[in-house]
Amino acid sequence: MTASALLVGLIIVPLAGAVLTPVVGGRDGARACGWATLVMVVTSGIAAALVVHVAQVGPFSAYLGGWEPPYGIELRFDEFSASVAIICLLGLLAVVFSLRYAAHELPPVRIGTYYTLLLLNLTGMLGFVVTGDVFNLFVFMEILSLSGYALVAISGERTAEMAAFKYLVMGAVSSLLVLFAIGLLYALTGSLNMADISARLSGAAEAPAMLALALLTTGLMVKAALFPLHVWLPDAHAIAPSPVSALLSGLVVKTGLLGLIRVYQIYYGAKVLDLSALNTVLVWLGAISIVMGAFFAIFQEDIKMMLAYSTISNIGYIVMGLGLASQYGMIGATVHIFNHALIKATLFLGAGAIIYRTGYRNLTDLRGVGRSMPFTTAAISVGAISIVGMPPTAGFLCKWYIALGAVQAGHPVFGVALVFGALFIFVYYIRMVNSFYFQQPVHPEILEVKEAPLSMLVPILILAALCLVMGLLGRIPLSFIEPAVTRLLGTVGG
Amino acid sequence: MIAMLWQNIDYVGSVVLFCIGLYCVITKNNLIKKFIGLNIMETSVFAFIIALGVVDGGEAPIMGAGASAPFTNPIPQALILTGIVVAVSTTALALSLIIRIYEHCGTIEADELREME
Repeated sequence: MTASALLVGLIIVPLAGAVLTPVVGGRDGARACGWATLVMVVTSGIAAALVVHVAQVGPFSAYLGGWEPPYGIELRFDEFSASVAIICLLGLLAVVFSLRYAAHELPPVRIGTYYTLLLLNLTGMLGFVVTGDVFNLFVFMEILSLSGYALVAISGERTAEMAAFKYLVMGAVSSLLVLFAIGLLYALTGSLNMADISARLSGAAEAPAMLALALLTTGLMVKAALFPLHVWLPDAHAIAPSPVSALLSGLVVKTGLLGLIRVYQIYYGAKVLDLSALNTVLVWLGAISIVMGAFFAIFQEDIKMMLAYSTISNIGYIVMGLGLASQYGMIGATVHIFNHALIKATLFLGAGAIIYRTGYRNLTDLRGVGRSMPFTTAAISVGAISIVGMPPTAGFLCKWYIALGAVQAGHPVFGVALVFGALFIFVYYIRMVNSFYFQQPVHPEILEVKEAPLSMLVPILILAALCLVMGLLGRIPLSFIEPAVTRLLGTVGG
Repeated sequence: MIAMLWQNIDYVGSVVLFCIGLYCVITKNNLIKKFIGLNIMETSVFAFIIALGVVDGGEAPIMGAGASAPFTNPIPQALILTGIVVAVSTTALALSLIIRIYEHCGTIEADELREME
């Protein structure tokens, strides 16, 4: 099969799978889960083939309906699109994890719907990262956002619905900002294809191009939950069912950042504006996000709330790396998109397994759980070490690169902010590990709970192992993404 | 200045509508009113993009006997058709969430909901 057919299949398979889930699954939650797993296995196979292909021959495209750009819709697969690998991996593991979790936490009538929404959400993300057309980008963004709002509310509890509404209002406003910007870009260039826009934008008027850039950046920053636009995130991510939290925190917020990389690709190529002002804003917002996210997280008692705030910190790291606009910073940021997804999924799924077995979610109530659920808590500890950024785990590598990027860009002070943030993060993760292992249980019955069931434990352990392996084999993603970053930065001559 | 604004009255109008909508979203206390504000914003963006494609004296771009230039640009209309579908699904989801919130809490005023948390 040709690469372009595979690229189309990457979106069609999960989309068709989502639509067919109610038909195949009916009212049987386990069958729906089996079907969703099958769909994700096929999709992951396609994604793996595409990533291998891009590593061998470089970026390639598929033209939908045989219409060549700029008239038709182009799907473009470059090194940044290789994030489909992590989307498929996390999607697959989250589906497997959901088998027992959904049956336990959700009303039975909603389980079929849950898998449909999960697959739709993954379709939206896969489409978002491979499309080469700005309006198509908007459509996929809406698919993933709308299914995301519904997934947050799916447990049917009062707080979940309120969190979903808050998320919906902010998400919808940000989508409109992006749509407005797409309209402006179309008015300026008469095209919707990203490469074509980039080529035609160079002769465009400066003021509307700047307005479009501002709208796009603001809209995507809301999606990415960068401080101070993060207010929707903690509630939505903490209250959603744990596999959904893992996807939202690991992947959905990252699509905002991948969208930002696409915006950079358009504007760097066009050379219509000097982007250094935007970069300065991003670096500062990133640094503030790191510190504020960590600061709020220290005061959280609820384990999932703490993880949600920690996501804000990590988004800060990535945005800072992008804003530094230096080779090392950009590489570190891109790889951190990938590694943070692994780490945060480990933590959220682990927390989900603990909540599933014990029914508690506050750190005080969870004291001593390390003795009864040794494997799960060990996996969470690996995730915690990794997110703090200790060698030889996955988190160390990216943070090291971002710090090097700060030095390379001539702003070592941001490297200091980064280390300072890491110390903060260390404080609250050590608090978590401490209460799991070293404190006397408040509830004695917590020593009696069983280890998580296999369908939960296996995904968690796979992810925890990957957190370690990706630290040791860190050279592979770094050298994989390097040509793309060099190409991107090469166009600005920096 | 005035002449330029008048010439671009369609763009000015959609920006004003956008700001009115955003104002409602931010300041209104009632969830339904908040959402009406969001719908106003949606409409303003749609109007802006539709206005991009308008050509003075343009006809519908349908080929066939008697078709003569200038034609209106059909692409913005096709885009906004998709945009409206998205807006309808957002509205449906938001309204169903509001109904559920009302069933659970007996109110849809944002400040009263905040007190209940």
